[in-house]
Amino acid sequence: MAWREKIAWITLVAMLIAYGVYFTLISLSTLPPVSMLALFGGLTVIQVIAVIVATTVLAALSSEEARAKPDERDRAVARRGASIAYFVLIVGMITVGVVMPFRDTGWRLINASLFALVVAETVRHLIVVVSYRRGWHG
Amino acid sequence: MAESRINNQIRTLRFLAGEMTQADLGARIGVTRQTIAAIEQGKYSPTLEAAFRIAKVLGKPLDEVFQWEDRDG
Repeated sequence: MAWREKIAWITLVAMLIAYGVYFTLISLSTLPPVSMLALFGGLTVIQVIAVIVATTVLAALSSEEARAKPDERDRAVARRGASIAYFVLIVGMITVGVVMPFRDTGWRLINASLFALVVAETVRHLIVVVSYRRGWHG
Repeated sequence: MAESRINNQIRTLRFLAGEMTQADLGARIGVTRQTIAAIEQGKYSPTLEAAFRIAKVLGKPLDEVFQWEDRDG
């Protein structure tokens, strides 16, 4: 498995767990805004630390691979992930910024924009993983 | 799998070139071993530059290394 595919898997799993917990909790309860922000920030920090630790362990186990610069396939796969995720993010931002304000306010808008960001990032990593797994002839 | 219309003989030519490993070939053209494996399996179509580099390292003309599969008849 390519080094950058491993990193994409780690990030994807960490994101799905962290933000799965966040959006499940806020949909099941009515937390005060400050608690929501603290929860989101806390989970983000935990997720980032988990990814850094996992990446460091992986790099120690495969040091030569980890030091290698991204090659043309890595760059092509990354571009594909970013360009598809960009459209997901645009749709999310239009929904949050143009459509939702007609019926929603405050924290619903903030959480919807956070959700759009998380979905776009998830799509980016998912595209990367799928491109490495199934092939990409960009 | 995303289908490629480009076939290649890299695996055979590596064997004929003194059983060159994927890692050796990758190192000589500036890609990872996994990328060479992906090219051999038809999971990735290399750039034109990488294709020329591969052909040069294997000591063959480009069209002996890569072939276009014409499905249109």
